[in-house]
Amino acid sequence: MQLRHAKKEDLDAISDLIVRTKRLNNEFDPLFAVVSDAKPRAEKYVQSTLGAPGHLLLVASEGTKVVGVIRAETRERIFYEPHKEGRITDFYILPEYRRKALGHEMLERASAELKKLGVEIVVADVPAQNEIANRFYAKRGFRALTHQFGKIP
Amino acid sequence: MPKKATEDEFSRKALGYSKFYGGKVGFAPKVPVRSLDDFSIWYTPGVAAVSKAIQAEPGLSFEYTGRWNTIAVVSDGSRVLGLGNIGPEGALPVMEGKALIYNYLGGVNAIPLPVKTKTGEELISLVKALEPSLGGVNLEDIESPKCFEVLDRLRAEMEVPVWHDDQQGTAGVTLAGLFNALEVTDRKLAGTRVVLCGSGAANVATERLLVEAGSDPRDIIVVDSKGILHPEREDIDQLMLKNKWKYEIALSTNGDRVTGGLRDALQGSDVLVAAAHQGPAAIKPEEISVMNKRSIAFFLANPVPEMLPAEAHAAGAEVVATGRSDYPNQVNNSLLFPAIFRGALDVRARTITDSMVIQAATELAAFARERGLSSDYIIPTMVQWEVYPRVAARVGQAAVREGVARKELTEDESMRAAMATIERSRKVMNQLRNGGVIVDPPE
Repeated sequence: MQLRHAKKEDLDAISDLIVRTKRLNNEFDPLFAVVSDAKPRAEKYVQSTLGAPGHLLLVASEGTKVVGVIRAETRERIFYEPHKEGRITDFYILPEYRRKALGHEMLERASAELKKLGVEIVVADVPAQNEIANRFYAKRGFRALTHQFGKIP
Repeated sequence: MPKKATEDEFSRKALGYSKFYGGKVGFAPKVPVRSLDDFSIWYTPGVAAVSKAIQAEPGLSFEYTGRWNTIAVVSDGSRVLGLGNIGPEGALPVMEGKALIYNYLGGVNAIPLPVKTKTGEELISLVKALEPSLGGVNLEDIESPKCFEVLDRLRAEMEVPVWHDDQQGTAGVTLAGLFNALEVTDRKLAGTRVVLCGSGAANVATERLLVEAGSDPRDIIVVDSKGILHPEREDIDQLMLKNKWKYEIALSTNGDRVTGGLRDALQGSDVLVAAAHQGPAAIKPEEISVMNKRSIAFFLANPVPEMLPAEAHAAGAEVVATGRSDYPNQVNNSLLFPAIFRGALDVRARTITDSMVIQAATELAAFARERGLSSDYIIPTMVQWEVYPRVAARVGQAAVREGVARKELTEDESMRAAMATIERSRKVMNQLRNGGVIVDPPE
């Protein structure tokens, strides 16, 4: 298993994993219903991240196969200290590569890479109802920072 | 539809007779009442001594009461036969029928007990509360995936055997048939590619037993209504959250990562076990014909198999089994569950492990093998009733070996105990009929 920065050739595989992340979110909450053209949108999204300054796109790969992805971007917390934030926006590992501490390794590696970019606090965006993600971060010392409330008007 | 006329006839009789007899089973005493004085023994004041003895040593409830031979046939009515969720009252005639088979073939005192529960959790706590009265529990006709959670929890949390016949029973009898079908077609389980069509109660358990019996999970392919299960199927995360049993199967099986539908799965496979759709044309000849030479096909949907045997043979299958008695090779749970419980109850087993089920399947297969196997005879028939005590003894011995038996019988003692209890049941039936208590039904 290799952890490395994403390359252009990974675009298709990463986009698939991103769509899977969104579908998984939808399993927990109907307000995350996934659009029908999620795949081409994911491709654009990944493309705009690849090599962009202040962005991080790490993959776990086995041979030529991409089995996990973590995407993060740096943001400014203009009113707060710590000031510079590394925001994890997407994180997915294929089922058969789970339960092997790969998620932990990827998070550690991403945190280290973000630190290199000057990040002082790592923040992960996950749906409130996604119990798996909640447990994952809580187990690693993260705690809820903000609550986002949603309602269809 | 095959045998339509016969089925209509059975339905008509079932309605008429059920009403005539007012139900199929009922309580019968085991002790003599010579005069009303005997109630001072069977009831108060004498009974208090028995109660106190059991209070001091609760295990004695297996000796001083009928608990040792009593099971409940419990259903929430959420998936009855092929009829769907028809409710507990609708399930009652089925549970009565099951109790009758338990009694007649296994000598088991089985109480039909459909219950009004909604969630798995409610069902679990209700069944657990019944434990002091029972030597075992037969769960029946509970929808999937609820049935998996209920069985797993009750097996872990109860001190008497809990059995879900739609899982372990069907899987066990399938395994027995498969052992001999492999023999007939010169195969070993290891290295044989097995396709399971349908991923409900039966096939989820069949997959587990196959692996426990020696199949490499990578040689098993499971197909459900959305196609072949594999670790990267689009709905895999949904399965993880909604059906963890199917999820685990998706991760561990299908080593070659075959994708697509049933035909893709069957290409180059040796065995098909279909427990999925009502037939008679749910599976097509062109799907069977892509299987390896000398293929084996089990069509277990009831009452109409996924494919009729003649068609399957014409498409190239060598050994074909169904759930019906009017074709050769009837893969019928009734061959197994009375004997499994007979054996488990005789040794006061705390549970029925998967390896006890595999032992039962092995004995069932051995019985048929001794009588000469052919593509039309891979499994005993229900009338070969000598098979029941044999299977019971094998199960009892497996329980003793695994340390789950409260009472350590030898194989010979197990066999004699089983025969005595089964014979007693048949004798009771004969006496009740000969004595005019049970009369023949009016035509």
